[in-house]
This record gives sequence, C-alpha cells and structure tokens, in this order.
Amino acid sequence: MTLDPSFMWTAFLSLFKALPTTLMITFVSVICGLFIGTVVALCRIYRIPGLSQLSTAYVTFIRGTPMLMHLLIIYFGLPILIDSLAAKWEWSFTSASIPLIGFVFIAFSITAGAYMSEVVRAGIVAVDRGQIEAAHSIGMTTPQALRRIVLPQALAVSLPNLSNSVIGMLHGSTLAYTISVVEINAQALVVAANNWKYFEAYIAAAVLFWGLTLLIERGSGWLEKRLNAYHRGGVM
Amino acid sequence: MIQLEQISKSFGKQEVLQSIDLQVKKGEVVVILGPSGSGKTTLLRCINYLEKPDAGQITIGDLKVDTKHPTKKEIHALRQQTAMVFQQYNLFKHKTALENVMEGLTIVRKMPKDKARTISIQVLEKVGLGNKLDHYPVQLSGGQQQRVGIARALALNPEVILFDEPTSALDPELVGEVLSVIRKIAKEGITMIVVTHEMDFARDVANHVVFMDGGLVVEEGTPEEIFQRPKEERTRQFLSRITPQATYSI
Ligand SMILES: Nc1ncnc2c1ncn2[C@@H]1O[C@H](COP(=O)(O)OP(=O)(O)OP(=O)(O)O)[C@@H](O)[C@H]1O
Ligand SMILES: [Mg+2]
Repeated sequence: MTLDPSFMWTAFLSLFKALPTTLMITFVSVICGLFIGTVVALCRIYRIPGLSQLSTAYVTFIRGTPMLMHLLIIYFGLPILIDSLAAKWEWSFTSASIPLIGFVFIAFSITAGAYMSEVVRAGIVAVDRGQIEAAHSIGMTTPQALRRIVLPQALAVSLPNLSNSVIGMLHGSTLAYTISVVEINAQALVVAANNWKYFEAYIAAAVLFWGLTLLIERGSGWLEKRLNAYHRGGVM
Repeated sequence: MIQLEQISKSFGKQEVLQSIDLQVKKGEVVVILGPSGSGKTTLLRCINYLEKPDAGQITIGDLKVDTKHPTKKEIHALRQQTAMVFQQYNLFKHKTALENVMEGLTIVRKMPKDKARTISIQVLEKVGLGNKLDHYPVQLSGGQQQRVGIARALALNPEVILFDEPTSALDPELVGEVLSVIRKIAKEGITMIVVTHEMDFARDVANHVVFMDGGLVVEEGTPEEIFQRPKEERTRQFLSRITPQATYSI
C-alpha cells in the first residue's frame, strides 16, 4: 500500500464541509457548559442546601463516566422520557422532531458543565476575599459582586484551564459520529470509504484538528494577555 | 448620627466584642485606638455587616438595624450608608482607578455613566490622582492605591467612612500622602471612624478618641483627655508603649 498525497489533499478539502458541524458542537457545548459550570460551582461554594449535594453528585458522576456514555444515554434515554411525557400530557411534540445534533448538544453540554465547574470553582476560590468584601462595602449585592467583580477575575485566572476544556470538547466532538452526526471524523470516514483510503483521510482529519487546536491555544494566549494586563501591570 | 448599642461578637469561644456602645455625631472624626487583637477591625466590620454581630443594634440616620435578625434589605441599606477603606486597599484589580471609583455610582447608585465619570474624576483629583485615571491598581504605588480606595469611598458620599488602619500596609515614605488626604476630607466635615496606630495623626484629626482593649471600650474622650490625662491604667500603658518616639527624638 502506498501513500496517496493528492488524495490526502482532496480529503482535507472535503472535510471542510463538516467543519461547521464540529465547530457548532464545540461552541454550543462550551458555552452551555460554562454556564452550567458556573451555576454548579456557585451552588457548591455557597453550600446551597440541596443544590450543593445535587451539584456534587452531578460533577462526580459525569467526571466518573466516559463522554461517549453521556451521549449514548441521552440519545437512547431522552426520547423515552420525552415520548412518555408527551403521551401523558398529550403534547404534539415527540422525540422524532429532535434533530440528531440536538442530542449531541445536550449530552456534551452536560459533559462540559461538569468539567468546567471544577475549572470555574478553582478560579473563584483563587480570587482574594478582599475583592468581594470591597464590593459589598460599596453597597453591591452578592449577585452584583459576583457578576461584576469576582467572576471576571475568576475567568481570567481560569483561562488556561478553560482553553484546555475547549480543546477537550473539540476532540470529544468526534464521538458524535456514533449517532450518525457528520462532523469531521465521520466525514473522513465517508471520504475514505468511497476510495478505501482510510489512512490518508484520517491523517487529513488529524491535521485539521491539530490546526484548530493551535488556533484555540493562540486565541486563548492572546485573550489571556489582554485580560491579565492588570496582573502584570502592562509594563512588560 | 451613628449609634452602636451593645454590639457583641464571638469567634467560637472567644468574645471579641463585649457589648460595645459607640456614638458618632455627624461630621465627627472618631479615632479608635487599642492593642492588636482588641477587636478594632471586627467592630468596624460589624458596622457594615462584613462581619455578622451576634447581638446589638446599629443606627445610622433613620436606619435602625437589629443585628441579630436583619433583613437582606437592611444589610444592603447599611452598606449603602457606609463605605470602607481597607488596610490592604482591596481595589478591584481588573478595573482602572477611574472604573474603581465609578463602579459604586453606576452599579449601586444607578447613576448615568457620564455623570458618574464626572464625579469620579473630581474625587480622584481631590486625592491627587487626576493623572492616574486609566491606571490599573498594579500600576500604582501603595499610597496611590490607598488614595483610590479613599476616592472610591468618598464618591459614594456615605453617612460615614470607616478606615481600618489605612496606612499600616504602606512603606513609611508613603504614609504621609495618605494621611494628608484623610486630613483634608476630615476638614470637609465627613463623618469618619478611623482605626489607626499613627498617634500624631490621631491627635490631630480626631474629635473623639476611643480606647479599646479585650473587646471592651476601656476609655473614651477628647484627644486631650485621652492623650494628656488618661484615667485608666491600661490606656496609659498602651500610650507609653506606642509613643516612645518622644523619648529618643532629637
Ligand atoms: N474571622 C475570624 N475568625 C476567628 N477569629 C477571628 C477572626 N477575625 C478576628 N478574629 C480574632 O478576633 C480578635 C480581634 O481581632 P481584630 O482583627 O478585630 O483585632 P484588631 O484590634 O483589629 O487587631 P490589629 O490591631 O492587630 O488589627 C483577635 O483575637 C483575632 O484573632
Ligand atoms: Mg485590625
């Protein structure tokens, strides 16, 4: 078997068709995950009765199980749940009207939420207590203080870890192919199967993921520099 | 007027404040003195509820708060009527000097941005930082940071400003600039409660001096009464320990 570089290029170009799907999965799961993660982190830090225990259970369960399981459980479980509810309440809505990618969004947001809650929590804890006290002292409510003072600083601190989470979600998005969502990995499979050139197709896919990962690292490095200008005093 | 009645606070078994009473008239500067661990910081922090008192009543103007069972609204109101200058400055690290001062006006007082900006610039000019508006805290010296802290408190025009050892984290050569700013605003008739170890400053700026020890107000009076004719032995001991400069000054 010989390597076919020109096919690799063809494959590479055809992978771009699936790029929007991969980016969409990553983007949605990261944004929803960040939101879930922040809420969960706050529930745990403020030890909100009930919610705090629930949050801990959620985080340990999700982090203790593979991401593929989350997808499969949602994919097979959610329709059962929705359809039985729909039957009971006589909704016209059924699970059949959920697009496949919807399951991916839901499952991976749940996955990302658990991982990101740990990142956000570490960031919040790293913010000096004096910051929230100062915010209270000028009359801010706790939600105002969190939103305006603590969370922006916590996110800036967490940025390197958050960018790792984003990369993790990008790479994890390939699992969507198991439920027939055509993201980059599935597209590589499609291209390869037509020609029996799996190796070339997967190398092309790997190169594309590598490029995306580099972009995320670059972007987060740039953002970090901007956000943390106040840490170094912008003198350097 | 500000009135504290029977404010008590314990940490675990340790009674840090034992039924403290304190009255501050409008425009008055009250200085609190006392040895380390006597509860000065805790008392200040109880006034704006950064620390939850176990019992007692706080009155600021028309606002009367039973500290044992305050509502969220009352705590919020207490904090709106007071402002605090911290020993460690506690400036918002991700905001410039100007943004630090504007924050309370726009977010808490809901003031339009341009009006808040005008006021904040005026106040920063008053503390001598009109040329540092866009500097982040890390770009400022300790003395400058503390002056921003004072501006942040001052801009809110609170009923009282609480100072907790505003100069004790500063290098000696930076203490003067901060004290002179505090002197200046004291002369403008702003009500202040100041915890400090700077005795000359205390003598100079105070209308009323309170000496605390072991969670109690041991003695209070005018600066003359406390510094020249202290009645209590503990006050005398404290003052002789803390003002030894006179003995070796040249
Ligand atoms: N959060 C806390 N938990 C437990 N103990 C505390 C806490 N804060 C203060 N204390 C204790 O309460 C006592 C009074 O502390 P406080 O900080 O009010 O003293 P202070 O008069 O301000 O002293 P200093 O001059 O050193 O600042 C001290 O013994 C201190 O150890
Ligand atoms: Mg103290």
